[in-house]
Amino acid sequence: MQLLERYLQAVKFWLPKEQKEDIIAELSEDIHSQIDEKEAELGRKLNEVELEAILKQRGRPILVANRYLPQEQLIGPVLFPIYRLVLKIVMLCYLVPWTVTWIALLIFNSGYAAKFAGHSWIEILGSLWAQLWGTAFLAAGTVTLVFAILERVQRKSHFLEEWNPRKLPPINNPNLISRFNSIVELAANLIFCVWWTAHMSSNVVWNQLNLRISLAPAWRYFFWGFLLLAFVNIGFAVVNLARPYWTAPRASIRLVSDIAGSVLFCWLLKAHLLVEIAGASISPMKAVQLTGTINFWMARMFSAAVILGVVIAIVNIFRIARVTAPRAHIPGKTAAMA
Amino acid sequence: MSSENFDNLRLELRRGGLVVAVLAALYSEQYGYTLRKIMADHGIEIDEGTLYPLLRRLESQGLLKSKWREEQKRNKRFYQLTVAGKQILEQLLTEWRSMDSSINSILKEYGHATSRTVSASR
Repeated sequence: MQLLERYLQAVKFWLPKEQKEDIIAELSEDIHSQIDEKEAELGRKLNEVELEAILKQRGRPILVANRYLPQEQLIGPVLFPIYRLVLKIVMLCYLVPWTVTWIALLIFNSGYAAKFAGHSWIEILGSLWAQLWGTAFLAAGTVTLVFAILERVQRKSHFLEEWNPRKLPPINNPNLISRFNSIVELAANLIFCVWWTAHMSSNVVWNQLNLRISLAPAWRYFFWGFLLLAFVNIGFAVVNLARPYWTAPRASIRLVSDIAGSVLFCWLLKAHLLVEIAGASISPMKAVQLTGTINFWMARMFSAAVILGVVIAIVNIFRIARVTAPRAHIPGKTAAMA
Repeated sequence: MSSENFDNLRLELRRGGLVVAVLAALYSEQYGYTLRKIMADHGIEIDEGTLYPLLRRLESQGLLKSKWREEQKRNKRFYQLTVAGKQILEQLLTEWRSMDSSINSILKEYGHATSRTVSASR
């Protein structure tokens, strides 16, 4: 019977203090009743193996004790979906920029990169992974702590039960284009066109306050290229204002115009367009040095611009896929698009 | 997968029924082990890990009363319905019968129609 005493002791450990003795007395009596019945059936005392089988059938001590404990949750079912959503947003908006910044520092900041001098790529990635885990745990831990507090407040005040159906968000239609966005796009492009044609049509893009900035002859390609793109965007904004939803041809044209804009911008960065900076307060040597530095840093930004262009293209491709994918009919959606 | 679904749904369905069965069995005084035997004899298997916490919960809600008493040279805890427990049991039985009647009525009206449709389509 020592095995039974050990079992009861193990169950007792996990029970709430004020009920330990009472529960154990009842559990002990119940097991003894089962043993008595089995012994009466067999006509002899149970051996160790048979007693072990009875205890095994009863279950692991911690699980047996757990059934007597109040059901507690750190974050309950009411808040859990919000918790999961916030956790995803935090991970996406915190860890991704953190990783990108870390990589950018490693590439562009020589002081930071010097810390890893002599390390292999695997060691550098290992360092990133270790730091990323630390950051991820800190972010997830903070979100969990906040939600655990909210859960306790919610249980007492039931603040989530107070709600107004009129405050529900409008029907989400990802293919709908916000008219406000179209107006902003139209206004921005019109202002851009006026400013661009007034001030950027010549190779000398600045000639005031004793300062003169001149660009290479190739500038005219960029001037006309960006102006053409601005006109396309104006046309787009006008069409979007009249018919504010994405269609496959319009999404495709947007992809082409965005790719053209990205290519033009990336080419601009690499073209070493700045040929002269001259001013009364700048010595010729300083001006040459400044011109070289600006051209150098514009060229250094090329990789980042390519990455940005790829991201923009991917977003556009996803939009085309979304627009062309067959959609289930949602009442009201057709009416909203018409 | 369908067996797992059935087990989960069966568990949900049984949960409320077990409370009614336990309360019904405790019209007369019983201790845990005999209560389990009675339930099993009537086709309701309930393991001790479910029964004892349930008895404690019902006792804390004032539906059962318990006392320790020596029987067959061992201390046993006997449970019985309180007056409040009897009232609740009557209400639960009324609810149970009403639910049973409603389900039967739904099955009579729609269940048969569905089976007819299935047979006709074959």
